[in-house]
Amino acid sequence: MEAYINGIGIISPQQTFDTADFLTEVVEHNSKSLPCIEPSYQEFLNPVLSRRMARIIKMSIAASSVCFKEANISIPDAIMTGTALGCLEDTEKFLSAIIENDEQFLTPTSFIQSTHNTVSAQIALQLKCMNYNFTYVHKGFSFESAVLDGLMTLAEGEAKNILVGGHDEMTDKYFRVCDRIGYWKKEENVPTMELINMKSDGSIAGEGASFFVLSNEKTESSYAVLRGIKAIYKPQSKQEIESKIAELLHSKELTFNDIDLVVYGINGDARFDKTYNILKDGIFKNSTSTYFKHLCGEYQTSGGFAMWLASNIIKRQMVPSAVLIGENKTKQIKNVLIYNTFLDTNHAVFLLSQC
Amino acid sequence: MDALIDQLKGEIIEQLNLEDLKKEDIDADATLFGEGLGLDSIDALELIVLLEKNHGIKVANPADGKKIFQSIRTMAEFIQANKK
Repeated sequence: MEAYINGIGIISPQQTFDTADFLTEVVEHNSKSLPCIEPSYQEFLNPVLSRRMARIIKMSIAASSVCFKEANISIPDAIMTGTALGCLEDTEKFLSAIIENDEQFLTPTSFIQSTHNTVSAQIALQLKCMNYNFTYVHKGFSFESAVLDGLMTLAEGEAKNILVGGHDEMTDKYFRVCDRIGYWKKEENVPTMELINMKSDGSIAGEGASFFVLSNEKTESSYAVLRGIKAIYKPQSKQEIESKIAELLHSKELTFNDIDLVVYGINGDARFDKTYNILKDGIFKNSTSTYFKHLCGEYQTSGGFAMWLASNIIKRQMVPSAVLIGENKTKQIKNVLIYNTFLDTNHAVFLLSQC
Repeated sequence: MDALIDQLKGEIIEQLNLEDLKKEDIDADATLFGEGLGLDSIDALELIVLLEKNHGIKVANPADGKKIFQSIRTMAEFIQANKK
């Protein structure tokens, strides 16, 4: 089960929409919620259609368009997306209208757009793509499930080019609800570039839409080869995590020492970052360490941002200083491992290699 | 009637997210569907809800819809004729 990453489109709280740029200027948000930097949508969307679309739909359509262009394909053989929250803004609008209007006068638009599979459906509608279309809604495993489905579909030979993606948006209401249950830091201002050094509980909120064309053929635009993925639900011990990683590596005839660089999902939350530190100072002490959530914030499908980062590091053979922890220990970056968790519940491992 | 037409234009712009349009851009006699404003069937549902929510008027007979929603002026005339 392997796939070439032939195209990437991502909208995030960084300047990631321009595929030629790779973190040359990092946007530092002094805030507990990192909003996406959105492009002009005129190039990607018909204004008549876009007037009904919520922000996350516009972001996803624009990001997937960039992805197709880069991979040089017009219609994918399948579309798989992952989202924990779906189209939250429209869901809130729809539910608020129910309450405000005493369960009457419900307008159709926000209801139609509020379902979790709206994004993958809208992408398909724009392309007139009648192929396999699926949306995974598994909290911190949503993006990972879409990627896994993509890898399995390619392995079975049912498709050549697949669009996989992850998308989640942050709204004021959702931010406040999560704040009450301790997701975010209590400090008034959080300098995001200092996130890794913070010792308090909670993280910073993020959002994003990231899309990838996975293919069974290498092309000139290929970033890397995605060699495997592992999801670990509520691991009970350090040994369990290490053994699952070892399992993935051994299946590709690799050892811990073959991993040149690790992308960690360190989010500045003192309750959860210890898992990353155990790996960083233990089995991966000889690998270069990087992290990414100070750039995009914490959200359920942040694995997409990590995959964008790892793919670019491999393709460009360059590690931006903004993501580096300590020193760059390797000259050539052949194998990259992503280790990411959401609230210490959903742990995900991705293995990418140079192609 | 002019005040009601002006009010309706504002309500339609807001309800249908016609962000690029201003009240003065909309001709009260232009057709709402097809060529004029280019609205579609989902917008029709939004307009039915708008009439009921903002003006307390239900479109009892769906067959009347084509006539009522021909233009903003016909909508205003319908509201005026059915106002309680």
